[in-house]
Amino acid sequence: MEATDPKVKPQDSAPTSSYFQYPSSRRKSWFPFDLETSEYDVLLLSTSLKLLLFPAYRSTDFEVHRNWLAITYSLPISKWYYDTTSEWTLDYPPFFAYFEKLLSIPASFIDPKIVDLNNLNYNAWSVIAYQRTTVILSELVLGVALIRFIRGSVDPSTQRIISASLFLHPGFLIVDHIHFQYNGFMFGILLWSILMARNGNKLASGVLFAVLLNFKHIYMYLAPAYFVYLLRSFCISPSGQFEIKNFLSLANAVIAVFLVSFGPFIVMGQIPQVLSRLFPFTRGLNHAYWAPNAWALVTAADRVLLRYVSRTGADVAINISGVASTSRGLVGDTIFAVLPTVKPIHTFIITVAFQSIALIKLWFTPTYKSFLTALTLCGYVSYLFGWHVHEKAILLVLVPLSLLAAERHAYFRTFILASVAGVFSLFPLIFTPGESIVKVLYSVLWVLFVYLPLTRRVYEFPRSLSFVIIDTLEKIYLAGFPLLQLFVTLFPILVARRQQQSAAVPIVETCISTADFTCPEPDPHPAGVAAMEFLPLMLTSVYCAVGLVWGFCRLMFVYLNEETTYQGPLSRI
Amino acid sequence: MAEELSALPPDGPRKSSHRIRTISVNSMRSLPPSSLHAQRSHLEYERPEILAPMPRPALAGSRHLLENSAQWLHANSPESSRQVSPTLSPRRRFSSLPHSPTQSIKFPASLSSLHEAEDAEAPPPREKESEPAMARRWLRWMHKRGVKAWIVPSALLAATCVKFSMSLGSYSGQGTPPMFGDYEAQRHWMELTIHLPIQRWYTYDLQYWGLDYPPLTAYVSWLCGVVGHWLEPSWVALDSSRGIETEGSKVFMRSSVALLDALIYVPALVMFTRIWQANRSKRTQNLALVTLLFQPALLLIDFGHFQYNSVMLGFALLTINFFAWEQDLAGAACFVLSLGFKQMALYYAPAIGGYLLAKCLYLGFVDGGKLFLRLALVTSLLFIALFLPFLPPFAPISAILDPISRIFPFARGLFEDKVANFWCASNVVFKWKNWASSAFLIKLSAVLTALGFLPNVLVFLRIAWQTQLPQGAKAPSHTPILPLLPYALLTSSMSFFLFSFQVHEKTILLPLLPITLLLSGAPIDSTIFGWGALANNVAVFSMWPLLKRDGLGVQYIALTVLWNSLLGYNPLRLPSRSFVQLLSLAVYAAALGLHVLELLITPPARYPDLFAVLNVLISTPVFVLLWLWSIKCGLEMSWALGGLGNAVPRSQRTSLVGDDDTPALIRKMRSVSSIGSAQGRRRAPFVESEQEPSIDQVLS
Repeated sequence: MEATDPKVKPQDSAPTSSYFQYPSSRRKSWFPFDLETSEYDVLLLSTSLKLLLFPAYRSTDFEVHRNWLAITYSLPISKWYYDTTSEWTLDYPPFFAYFEKLLSIPASFIDPKIVDLNNLNYNAWSVIAYQRTTVILSELVLGVALIRFIRGSVDPSTQRIISASLFLHPGFLIVDHIHFQYNGFMFGILLWSILMARNGNKLASGVLFAVLLNFKHIYMYLAPAYFVYLLRSFCISPSGQFEIKNFLSLANAVIAVFLVSFGPFIVMGQIPQVLSRLFPFTRGLNHAYWAPNAWALVTAADRVLLRYVSRTGADVAINISGVASTSRGLVGDTIFAVLPTVKPIHTFIITVAFQSIALIKLWFTPTYKSFLTALTLCGYVSYLFGWHVHEKAILLVLVPLSLLAAERHAYFRTFILASVAGVFSLFPLIFTPGESIVKVLYSVLWVLFVYLPLTRRVYEFPRSLSFVIIDTLEKIYLAGFPLLQLFVTLFPILVARRQQQSAAVPIVETCISTADFTCPEPDPHPAGVAAMEFLPLMLTSVYCAVGLVWGFCRLMFVYLNEETTYQGPLSRI
Repeated sequence: MAEELSALPPDGPRKSSHRIRTISVNSMRSLPPSSLHAQRSHLEYERPEILAPMPRPALAGSRHLLENSAQWLHANSPESSRQVSPTLSPRRRFSSLPHSPTQSIKFPASLSSLHEAEDAEAPPPREKESEPAMARRWLRWMHKRGVKAWIVPSALLAATCVKFSMSLGSYSGQGTPPMFGDYEAQRHWMELTIHLPIQRWYTYDLQYWGLDYPPLTAYVSWLCGVVGHWLEPSWVALDSSRGIETEGSKVFMRSSVALLDALIYVPALVMFTRIWQANRSKRTQNLALVTLLFQPALLLIDFGHFQYNSVMLGFALLTINFFAWEQDLAGAACFVLSLGFKQMALYYAPAIGGYLLAKCLYLGFVDGGKLFLRLALVTSLLFIALFLPFLPPFAPISAILDPISRIFPFARGLFEDKVANFWCASNVVFKWKNWASSAFLIKLSAVLTALGFLPNVLVFLRIAWQTQLPQGAKAPSHTPILPLLPYALLTSSMSFFLFSFQVHEKTILLPLLPITLLLSGAPIDSTIFGWGALANNVAVFSMWPLLKRDGLGVQYIALTVLWNSLLGYNPLRLPSRSFVQLLSLAVYAAALGLHVLELLITPPARYPDLFAVLNVLISTPVFVLLWLWSIKCGLEMSWALGGLGNAVPRSQRTSLVGDDDTPALIRKMRSVSSIGSAQGRRRAPFVESEQEPSIDQVLS
């Protein structure tokens, strides 16, 4: 409605055009104090909720970051990557270490015990309040980037919803404000970099991305898209001529960033040590809780096949070490029992193959929108097929995908599917009961407030039968999430009760099969309950993986067929 | 007097399909023509202002006309509480006026010529309309996006989310053995009710949090205990579970509060906005709902400190909802339940009792007598049912003394902790305990409390007497005394809070309920709004020592800021240099100063309670003034409804305004039934859009 109002639009789009024409005048509004009331509201609402979450559950990441504060504060820079006082050694790139050093200075004033290297697992109120506050404050980078997205957008009122949805993203709430990390801050840099790409300042975009890489190297997942986009649209002119000047300036700037970051360690000759900390190649295919990617589906299929084979006694070679391996959920090598074992090189080849499809498309259409989609796809492919992917990496997909959400119905539906499945897949990070209620309620609210206003904007009348069928199936899939949540909530309670009863009545196992209860298979070891405890996680992982893989197929299909169909508002940039 | 009555909001042509949304203009119709003329010239004089997109400054010129008349209603601002509806430009609003349905006054042609001037003079409408209240901005956004059907569900969901986020914090007595705190008390009651026979509930190990709430609390504790036992027996194991602080038991206890809150208090709030504000717009009702849902004091105590106040308050709220719905028996039953849950509901008893008595009086001898008997029967039966296990034949007659002596602990002192009431505040200069015996002090406090709540009870009876229905007349749909009820509740609960013995700082929640109800429907710059927001903020402030002890400092800040910005509360926006504005500014300055002082310095060893005492000294005057204000409102209302005293005998009182006028007048008075109208804002007639002249028509 707002957008169609002729009175509103000219006012809003006036600064838009000036943005594109005079990118150099940006400096004036570098720090946008011209916040609108709705933006203040979002800030205030989210901040007050985050304040309430101060005493919430904290994962070991909290202690990890506290330890890094202590390392960077009390040790000289030459020992940062060598210290092993705590098991949580510094394994982020140097910029993040510098960032921690910066944070450790006020921390030492507030409570010197925070930065005491040997004060492991310190959990006084001072350190909780301080670290939580730094997350909230550093997340303002995200807020600033998102606001600047609104200012220059084609459709500010829609962009405002998208920006708000990103700032209030349940992923950030769960991972940053409960679990504890600084993702909001780093995604702020990523969005800033994307913003620069949108505004046509590609050099800045590249530099910011290089900075981001030096904060956290997981963003390498996205690097191929950046590489192709910058090479094609910045270093090669539309006519196909190589712009050597642009290329050199970009290359020098990126190298300079890396020099600033790694320089001290190059001088001290510690690069091998730093790299060995950053890339520990000793982990398995799946993380403790299978991140809902393609490998989760494969692993689940292997489990099912194993069941099937052991039931029917089919003549298939079974890898014995695989029988015990997969469902235990330990960090280590995942060995399949029936299916051929996957090696890192396989995952690498598959990832590169899928990414190159998107990148080839990007090479030929190096527009902003195409870049955004390819960026999302790059993250998506790495997430789905990467080696030892952590479930938190789903944010690498969801954040750029959100920017595309209001493009048209196809994007929007992909966004909703991926967001619901992705956010749900983050739920197991928070397993304490009190916080679980909050995470579910908050996510429902978020979906409500994103879905309701946006769905009307992108509505498209179904044009074919397949459209209707897919639409219905997707809706059924989405409707399965409340049921899944119900199961995940109730199952442990029922298991615990059953355990209690069996503990209370220590009878020799005499199992009577009834209509609704079939005897479990005789379990050689009494770890049946442990396996059962793993069942909700497995179901969550598989169910989310289905949605995420489907979302990936959708997005890939939409991207490759983009020109032939209707183009959304972002195509205008 | 005549002027006052004639300026009452008219009943409004309900049958007519035409509606005008501005009360000011609506009420102009009921004014004598001469004053209307004056007002019109006023309007013309302020021409540029009237055309501004905001109705409020536009009608500032006409304010004084209604201020006199509407003063008893305490809606100092005659304008509608609604902002201009986003789709409705002021031009369209006013262009509808000449087509007003009553047509008794022909608007001069100059009004339409006014519109022509608009385009030339009026500045272009600002895109960012400065709507101060965040909640209202949100409501507007939801309407604009066409998702207003989701307003109530999402507001409830958001409130639940906030409540559970609050629940993550610490509770009273966490980690403080051997006695712990209120949390442990409630948990202990679950434990003892499910493991002990009912007769031992009120006698078991009284030193360790013996049960001292009425039986309904015990029954509810039993129910929670049964569920807890089913989930995990160790949470409520007899004796061995004392001081249990596992994660699971905490979540269970917190969820039990949230569940009871969602079952009783939240539906009562929704019902309140739908019944008491029935003649307000849906948007205002929803705004009121948001205001009430996020009331910080209750959230902090129930979900932070840990108590089940929302159950008792929910029943009390249901009581007045049923009264407004003319279901007096159901209302009385709810009040008994409220009393049966927590004896603190007694603070409301004078107002509730006074109301019911007045209602009986108002209905006349026959109907009133019938009602009285029914009420007496229902309440006493319900009380007996609640106490049944302690009465013969289930128990010896002496058994009833156990709960009674536990519920009313006369043996304790005048006050325990630092609490912002009369006794504690005056104790700073006047040591009561040295001066008088405890028995005398209890008597004194009883007398003072009674004196405190008596005015509004008398007002009830007086109005009922004066507006008594003639014999055999059919009772109208609403009783005239109903709008007085929130004020009476405020007066009586506040007088209890200030003057009765053994008051806790948490008890301020009881006076807060009626004042927040009043606030919820009030426009943002009215006196009621000022008092309501001040009372809420000061109440939260007065509980600061308690919250600090519980480790709820962050929650205290977050919720207070959140609620105030939801309301868009800013004392500077109140009527300029009014008493409540000056008071608010002074109190906030003092409160902020105290907080800063507390951060900077530690109290001297001689006065360890220095800050708590200073807190009491800041809060108590506000509460006393609020109490006086509520009495004043009650008295003003009684004058407005029942006349200025006994100068006119009852038989002749209708002659005051002329004989031909009488039926309409009585109808008017009886229709004053909702808080909305009590604040002087009925929804005025509004011309439907199909009857509106198009803009082109006006311009041509």
